[in-house]
This record gives sequence, structure tokens and C-alpha cells, in this order.
Amino acid sequence: MLQILALLGTIGAFDYSVTSSPAETKAHEIIPTHIELCTVGPQYYAFELVTTKNIPGTGLATGQVQASVSGNSPFSVQLAPDGSYAYDLHVSLQRMRAPLQGNLVAWVTTTEIDRIERMGTLDANLQASGRVSWNKYIVVVTLESSDDPHQEQWAGPIVMRGMSRSGMMHTMVGHGALQEENCAAYGYGN
Amino acid sequence: MMMSGGWRMVPMDMNMPMLPGLEGAVPVVGPFMPGTMIDPATLPEARPSLVVPLSNMDTLDISVSMVRRTIAGHEMIMFGYNGQYPGPLIQAPQNATIIVRVKNEIEMPTTIHWHGIRIDNRFDGVPGLTQEAIGRDETFTYEVRVPDAGMYWYHPHVREDVQQDLGLYGNLLVTSPDPNYYGPAHREEIFVLDDILIDDQGALPWGEESPTHALMGRFGNVMMVNGKTDHQMEVRQGEVVRFHLTNVANSRTFNVTFGNAAMKVVASDVSRFEREQLVTSIVIAPAERYVVDVRFDKPGEVAIANTIQAINHFRGEFYPHVDTLSLVTVSDQNADSEVSMAFETLREHSDVVREVRPLREHFGREPDHELVTTVRVQNLHQSIVLSMESDTLYAAPMEWNDAMPMMNWLSTADEVTWILEDVTTGAQNDEIDWSFQVGDIVKMRIHNKPDSFHPMNHPIHIHGQRFLVASIDGVENQNLVWKDTAILPVGSTMDVLVEMSNPGEWMMHCHIAEHLHAGMMFSFTVNDQAP
Repeated sequence: MLQILALLGTIGAFDYSVTSSPAETKAHEIIPTHIELCTVGPQYYAFELVTTKNIPGTGLATGQVQASVSGNSPFSVQLAPDGSYAYDLHVSLQRMRAPLQGNLVAWVTTTEIDRIERMGTLDANLQASGRVSWNKYIVVVTLESSDDPHQEQWAGPIVMRGMSRSGMMHTMVGHGALQEENCAAYGYGN
Repeated sequence: MMMSGGWRMVPMDMNMPMLPGLEGAVPVVGPFMPGTMIDPATLPEARPSLVVPLSNMDTLDISVSMVRRTIAGHEMIMFGYNGQYPGPLIQAPQNATIIVRVKNEIEMPTTIHWHGIRIDNRFDGVPGLTQEAIGRDETFTYEVRVPDAGMYWYHPHVREDVQQDLGLYGNLLVTSPDPNYYGPAHREEIFVLDDILIDDQGALPWGEESPTHALMGRFGNVMMVNGKTDHQMEVRQGEVVRFHLTNVANSRTFNVTFGNAAMKVVASDVSRFEREQLVTSIVIAPAERYVVDVRFDKPGEVAIANTIQAINHFRGEFYPHVDTLSLVTVSDQNADSEVSMAFETLREHSDVVREVRPLREHFGREPDHELVTTVRVQNLHQSIVLSMESDTLYAAPMEWNDAMPMMNWLSTADEVTWILEDVTTGAQNDEIDWSFQVGDIVKMRIHNKPDSFHPMNHPIHIHGQRFLVASIDGVENQNLVWKDTAILPVGSTMDVLVEMSNPGEWMMHCHIAEHLHAGMMFSFTVNDQAP
């Protein structure tokens, strides 16, 4: 088992170790008794983050992204100057261990991954907040050696990822009446 | 293209092909065009809106009649208030009562609803509830008391999908006695935003017995400001223009942008905001109003535009779309700098802050009533049902464009029922029976169900009262303003606090004209004395 973990440890941009000490494990584990559901923002536009299982301790991890309209918006929706939807995002992870080394960082990127923005480092409760103003987007959580707020794109391994509900808007052919697309392949829950 | 029953094919975006099985299909209702037996040349040409300042107890006569108009090169028979487009801009001082005698000279019964005014119930203009509709050659006299300063509007409450679309709308500007009610501006402009659906022969017919476009509402393909398709204006460098925006479209929500000009939102339906706020655009749904100050800093041309991310369902993508509403030429001549500088100050409206403060204590409590919005369809064309049901994995918060023109056109109020449902009782639309007392602060929670046959945003309008949007999806509103209409996006939950200040029988409904006529309405009672 430890050999496999060591092998996985080389996938990232840096090496990290996993302790088998019960005391240390307890100190870094955050395993809530229930999976948190979205409490803010429209449930419909919330989405799940799916583990890559690339990082030890994340095999059972779950995560959610809540997307809400800022209370400062004078309108019921919030738009970017080009008319794209803008949301306040809140990322939360559960059922995983905080890394012994490095930082979990949340990013938001377009579905083409041609633009990436750093949301921020997850806090001790494995949560982070940020904003997005793209109509379709992917939220990615990576394990980074750096905690540089100016980092332009991720360098470490992807820990969790999920696509905005708007990403489910494919062509009508893709979702034809007699066809069921395997959306799980895109990282959706179902 | 002529089709059966006198219908013409709805204009289609060639990027969105017609569904198989819909070739030759037409709505199940007949087509309606005004004045079909009349030579347009015999009708008076409509004139631009005139300003009508009125004092307390002054009387204005309004005739509702057919007019001749030319839009985008097409001469058409339309309707007008006093032969004008929009109708006369009525100005009245706050707390005045004005008398408006309305004579109906069109072929349909009509009324006038004084939108947003906390009016005496008898004059609210709802046929069957507050008055009988005004038949042809009949008159009705409205006494309109205007208790709140701001921009309001008037329109029919009979087949709005037809009459409003044909030009029956106008503004009512209620002026405050406070000369500093708004901050300094060099000038003011009225912008009545509308769209109309036309093809190469002019306006597409409306539904005779009931509305077409019942699924999404009738989106136009030609944009208008104050009834014009080529609106232009000239300003000086640094000039601050106060725009009074009103959306009178049947269904379209506009996202109004002013290029890179600095802009701040000042007021909305029934009051000013607690605080002026810098914004980059104004999202304005049907029936909403916004007051926005815009400063044009750089010489050149600025396009005032509807800037949206439209949806192409067939390609499954968003795409940017911009319609120019007005072209502003900014000269290099400098405007008075004192006013330009004053724009920088974001004013707090302390009287609004004081007035809404007591209502904040209601934000955290459970709602008094809960509503959900949904839709039921029956006997729709099978191709429409199949394609709609297969495209249900994502519904956008807002429909900015008609992304399915033919399916939408073919759906009528005979086949589509839009629903407001009381969560507690299960009562729907006119089955809902709510009763309140004057002085009640009623918290309503309204949820727009995303898993219905065709979820869509709804501009929810409450007659005769004013309300606050306390929160959207649990996020408290930080800058309150009194409203009479507010957008409920798909999937969202909106908490509103309604101040029951005005006794009578009042309507609550979606202000997408086709949704209203497809059932999405009910009335409630406000008693002025305990029973």
C-alpha cells in the first residue's frame, strides 16, 4: 500500500509523504459526520466536485460548489459587462485529509481551459470562496507547493474537479430523445 | 411565407434549424391583425410622445385609437394613446390626484392599469376585478392619486400581449417636492424600451382567441427606444445624463450597457435605493423601471446597447449578442464641471434607509406564504414535447433571447398553463385565496422550480402595494429599494416583504404578457378594518 502511495506521490510537481502515525493522521483528518449540502445559492446551480483519487486520503472525498448572486447586486442576477453570468462561488470539501505538505488551491477555468483564475487557498475547514464571470466553467482543486496568490495556473496534481451545471448544456443531438449521454464522464454526479 | 389559416411563418434564426415534423405547422388559434379592413392611409400618422404636466385635480382626456406607424420600413396599423408613441408622458406632483378620462375607439375592450401606483382600488384597471372592461366607444374616468415619487407607467390590462405590443403604453412621472430628491445631472432622458416581432411584411400576427408564444413570451426582433428604431442623442464631454428606463416589452429582459461610460443606479420602481451604486449594466425585466445616472467622459460615439449572452440550444452554447438601442455622440465641448464632479459622490438616501430599517427584523423569520412557479402543457405538438423533454439538463437563469422561435410561436395559451402554486394548500392561480389587513408586513417566499417542462424567469408584479426583495437564494439584499416588480430567475428562491398599505382586491402575476394570459395570476384581499 505504501508503495502505491509513494508512486502516486511522484505524480505531483513535488514529493510529499503520508504518515501512518495514528496521532498525526487524526490531526490532519477532517471527516465530517454528514455531507454538507448547499445552504446558500440556488440549489439548481450548485454542483459536485469529484475526486481524482490521485492524492492519498482523497479516495472518499466529496465536494460541492455553491454559486450565488452577491447581495450587493441591485438585480436578481449578476452579470459581467459582456452579459455573462457572474457568481460568487463557495467551494467546500469533505471526507478527506488535509495534506501534510503543500496547499489545496481552488481554481476556476473555462471549459476550453484557455483561461484560468486562482480562487484561493482552501482554509483549515477545506473551504474557499471566489468569483466567476464565465457562462460555463470548471472548478479545479489542486495540491500546490506554493501559496503564491499571483500564481497564474496550477502546477500540482488535480485533487477534485467539477463542471458548472451550464456545462451540461450540450447540443440537442447529444441529448436527443433516444440518447442518454454519460455525463458522469464529464465529472457530473449523474 | 404564407401558411394555412392566414398565418405567416415566424422569422427564424438560420443557425437554429426547424425541428422535424413541424413543417407547415401553425398555432391552433387564428391570427389577429388590427384594422384588417382599413386602408392605413386613412388613419392619422402617430406622433412622438408629448409631455403633459398636470396639477392636482387636473383632467386629461385619453383616446385609445388606431394609428398609422412605420417601423423598420414597414407601414403598419397599430394602437396609440392620443395618437402618440409612447402615450403622453404625464407629469404630476407627488400626492396629487389627476383625473384621466379614457375613451376606447379600438376594436377590442380595454382598460388602463396604472402600474406601480398605490392607487385607489377602483381605478386599478383590472377587468372583472376592479372594473368592467371599456367597450368600443365607451368611456371610463380614472382618479389617479400618486403617493410616491418616481417613474411609473400605464398600459392596458386586457390582452396586453396584443394591445401593449401594438403601442399602448406611456409613462407617468411623479415629481418630488424635494429639489434634491435626485443628485445633480445636466439633463434627463426618458427611455421606453420595447421590441416588436416583424418579418418582411410587417408585424407578425398575434393570436386571435388567445396568445401565441405562450412558452417564452413574444420576443421581438426589432428593438425600439421611445418607439424609434434609430434613436440618437448628442451630449457634451463630461455630461451627466439621468436616464429613466422603463421596459414595456412583452417578454424580453434587457441588459442595458452604456459602453465604457461611468454609470450608477439611483432608483427603481417605487423609490430610490438606500445608496447609489456604481454598476456596469442595468438588468431590466418587463414592467420594471430604473433611474440611472451616466457620465460620458470621452468624446466619440457610445452605443447604448442590449448586451447579452444568448443561447443556441441546437449547438448547446452561449454566444454574445449586442443590439444597439441608441447611438450617443459625445462632443469635445465640456459640460459644466461641477455637476460632472458631483457624479463621483454616491449619495445615501437616509429617508429610504430609515423607512426600510424596521422591515429588516422580518428578514430572518419564516415566510407567511410560499409559492412555487411551474408550467403544465397539454396537446402540444409531439415534436415540441420530445425536444423540450430531451433538453432538460440545464435551464439558464434568464432567457435573454428566443432560442426556439418556432416551438415558442406554436405554443398557445390553449396548450400551456403557467402556474403560481401555494405550497401549503396546493391551490393554483385563481384558486389562491389570501386575505390580509392594512398594516401587515407579509413575507412571501417564491421558488422558481427548475425541473418543470420549461422553466423560465418570471418578472413578478404585485398590484397596489410596494415590496422589498429581502433575499435571493438566502443571500440578503444589501441595498434595498421599494419595488412593484422583481425578476425571479430559474431555480432561484426570492423572499419579498410586502407592505400591505392599500385596501382592496389586488392582482399578483407574472408580467410576461403571454404568461399572464396563460394563467399565471391570482388576486388577494387587503382589508382596511378587522373582520
